[in-house]
Amino acid sequence: MSAVLEIGDVSVAAGEIVALLGGNGAGKTTLLETVLGFSSGRVTLFGRDVSTLAVERRIALGVGYVPEGRRVFAGLTVRENLEAASSLPAGQRRQRVEEMLALFPMLGERPEARAWLLSGGQQQMLALARALMDRPRLLLLDEPTLGLAPVVVADLLRRLSAMTADGTAILLAEQRAALALGVARRGVVLSRGQVVRRGSAAELAADPMLADLMAGA
Amino acid sequence: MRLSPFWLVLLVLPPLVALATLPPFGQRMVILAGIYGLMGLGYQLVFGQLGALNLAQGALFGLGAYAAALAAPILGPFALPAAILAAAIPAALVAAPLLRLQSHYFALATLALASLVNLVAVHAEGLTGGANGLAGFATSLPRGPVLLVTVWVCLIAGVLLYAWLFAGTTGKKAHLLREAPLLAAALGIDGAAWRFVAFVVGGALAGLAGACSAALSGVVSPEATGLSIMVLCLTLVVLGGSRHPLGAVVGAALAVGLPELLRDLQGAWLLAYAVATLAVVLWAPEGLAGLIDRLRGARRSPLILPTLPTSVPPVPGAQRLTIDGVSKSFGGVQALDDVSLLVDRGEVVGLIGPNGSGKTTLLNVINGFEHVDEGTVALDDRRIERLPAHTVARLGIGRSFQALALAGDTKAADLARAVATGAAFLLLDEPAAGVGDHERRALPAFLANLRDAGRGVLIVDHDIELLSRACDRLVCLDRGRVIASGSPAEVRADPRVRASFLGLDGIAA
Amino acid sequence: MAYALVALGFVLALNAASAVNFAHGDLVVLGGAVASFVGLSIGLPAMLLLPMVAIAIGVVGIVAARIAILPLASRPPEATFVATIALAAIIEQSLTIAMAGAPRTAPALLGGGSIYIAGFVLGRQPLAIVVLGAVLVAAVWFLLERTQTGRRMRAVAADRYMARAVGIPVGRYVMLSLALSGALAGVAGFLLGHQFLVAPTQGAGHMLKAYIAVALGGWGSVPGALLGALGIGLFETFVAAGFGDVWASAALYICVLAVLALRPQGLFGEPVGRRA
Repeated sequence: MSAVLEIGDVSVAAGEIVALLGGNGAGKTTLLETVLGFSSGRVTLFGRDVSTLAVERRIALGVGYVPEGRRVFAGLTVRENLEAASSLPAGQRRQRVEEMLALFPMLGERPEARAWLLSGGQQQMLALARALMDRPRLLLLDEPTLGLAPVVVADLLRRLSAMTADGTAILLAEQRAALALGVARRGVVLSRGQVVRRGSAAELAADPMLADLMAGA
Repeated sequence: MRLSPFWLVLLVLPPLVALATLPPFGQRMVILAGIYGLMGLGYQLVFGQLGALNLAQGALFGLGAYAAALAAPILGPFALPAAILAAAIPAALVAAPLLRLQSHYFALATLALASLVNLVAVHAEGLTGGANGLAGFATSLPRGPVLLVTVWVCLIAGVLLYAWLFAGTTGKKAHLLREAPLLAAALGIDGAAWRFVAFVVGGALAGLAGACSAALSGVVSPEATGLSIMVLCLTLVVLGGSRHPLGAVVGAALAVGLPELLRDLQGAWLLAYAVATLAVVLWAPEGLAGLIDRLRGARRSPLILPTLPTSVPPVPGAQRLTIDGVSKSFGGVQALDDVSLLVDRGEVVGLIGPNGSGKTTLLNVINGFEHVDEGTVALDDRRIERLPAHTVARLGIGRSFQALALAGDTKAADLARAVATGAAFLLLDEPAAGVGDHERRALPAFLANLRDAGRGVLIVDHDIELLSRACDRLVCLDRGRVIASGSPAEVRADPRVRASFLGLDGIAA
Repeated sequence: MAYALVALGFVLALNAASAVNFAHGDLVVLGGAVASFVGLSIGLPAMLLLPMVAIAIGVVGIVAARIAILPLASRPPEATFVATIALAAIIEQSLTIAMAGAPRTAPALLGGGSIYIAGFVLGRQPLAIVVLGAVLVAAVWFLLERTQTGRRMRAVAADRYMARAVGIPVGRYVMLSLALSGALAGVAGFLLGHQFLVAPTQGAGHMLKAYIAVALGGWGSVPGALLGALGIGLFETFVAAGFGDVWASAALYICVLAVLALRPQGLFGEPVGRRA
């Protein structure tokens, strides 16, 4: 299986979810930002070296990003958030927006609502839908479950699992290890910017030292 | 910076040369340069040192000019102090409400103020003579050597005082206020008081300059309060060097000398001047004086960053820090929920918890960066939860930061600074984050020193190993609530704590 | 209405560059000056001249931003403050020099006078200003609210980082906003230049009005800026009717100071970072 993403010791292949674990300050966000191009570093995307490519160009290659804290475009409506994030031609774009609204009922209910009015869970779904607009082959998520109700978390994780069926590669950065390992195939634990543990999701979940690792020991 | 002989000579030379050799016309130019220098020096206090986008300096100059013109027939030379007051008092009155404003609002407010003053000057015919201004009034000081000496003595004294003042701790504190206001507050610096004093003193100097200008030309027109004088003030300060002690003087010399040099180009000198200002902002932000210093090879005193102190002096102060029932929410998110904990002197308490658990919010609430919604924070019996941050700092709470606020700062320096304030209680936010192994290994000994010296420490970090070794007690927060508290071994073994770090409770539903 | 255009341009530049452009008012004056120079020397009909002026000042706006604002983005705010003030002075002085030779206060040309049929005793030019202004404002509104370009401009203004992270080429949209800002300023200058003579020193006054409109209407809000501008216009008209122009201006300044003194966070309480 060829890797969709390679950065340092971390790789993600098509159709798999890799959990990127580690406590606060472990370096998860920094790694994601390096993949995107906000920080410099060697990155291989879809088999090519994109280290000198600008952020916007990397996204155009087929990357979707759901940042920590969602960062929806506050003053824009749900529909406008989705449209602005897409580089598709107008007809296809509008079609895709309708698809998204159908796929995410809680967004479909109020497509003309300003994004700042939405609840945390709704904003998270909007951030995810926004990232999916142009059918990315690689999806990056930074702590998407933070502050969400368990029901919403379960829904989110289910959707992520379903995405792998059509080959989407997902790198899921999470502090809540058990959640991420529940949907991932493999996991990587970061501490102070370095990979300190690697393995299948099952191995990591069973590791008694995991809590300590997550707590930063 | 201490004034080097080079600059001292340059400072004293113009008036001496003017008195000795120049004809009255030349002397008038030197007087004018001195006047602009005074106004600029005042502006350097607010704009240069504190970084405030002040557009009212011209108006204060004009107030001084008009006051001098009106008062001179009655008060003679005492019109000068009167003019100073005429500028300083309005400055003091508007300072308090205005200085609270964010930079872009502050700029607008000062601009509106200046426009208002200008409007009055143009239209209050009875008082100000309207658009034609006042003329032919008996000047407060005779034009010529007396005025020259007065202006330049004041200017030289001002520059020397400025240089002396800002070379030392005052300069460092101003730098902090400008670059990292939160850090400054945590060190006990009262930003509001500083800005007030700078604004009023700066205004007083503008008033003095205006009064001398009235004495020099014998005419005062609304031009003196207009935007052009304000722009002149700003540009001469920037050109000369907004923080350099001789910045105002150098800029003023240019402002007076350039029209003469470019006399053939008539109006073009102002254009050249504005272009020069833009060039300086883009490529030589330290100004011409700063550039000259650089070319002279004058070394800036290297920034010596303190390292972790090896010995920590004991300090007086409160004996117990009590946090009781504190709750805080931000826009619907409950960051802290009924949090209570104690820190005594001579103990090190560690605060742990996953991302978003409220640790930094708790620290912010204790030292006054945020206000509680409910609950109390107290030092012994004294409630401190409603006090401003700089007051809390002075009462004995020091703080180090997770993200370093100053460019070029180090974690060790940040910690050392907090300790050096002599605070009885220290709040340390992730001192181990982002530091090398060597520094990390030095931390337990540092914390032990703090404990032995009788300080109370509340430390937030993610390095459980470190905290287990260094702390007497651990407190674990999860989603704003305290879920465990006790010895490090107890807390680490607590199943609720382990679950919170794995996120296990998230899938309970 | 012309002030609405000025305020609109001002807020667009503000959102694009995250900085106050003190030279904006002078772009307006430049528009009037270009209109009067070109119009007098080549007798172009207004309808052709207008887009020319818009494009010209749009370009100037971009150049100005590339020199004095964008390179200073990572410096403290004093830097752009001084740079744009210096830029304003440069434009003002250049105009002063340029116009000293030519008939100094050249009134801008016929403006829209020859196009409209005045049924009543309505001044043609004021009517033209109102209509044209309304059309432009509506056009900008349409651009921002109903087109992908406008949506993306708003996304960039809302969260520049995230805009890049969804693939929006931010640099391009910033340029676009700045071009539009300049074009609006130029058109406003053209329209104003007929009724009020073009004088280089007017720049500061225009800028101050726009600044007030944006501060009162909600910092960075486009509808707020428009409302603010209209509000200022109405306020001044009423006060002037009762007490004269001078009191109108004075009252405006006093009101601004009062509002800022009482509500330091602005009329609509935006969540800006704290003042220590």
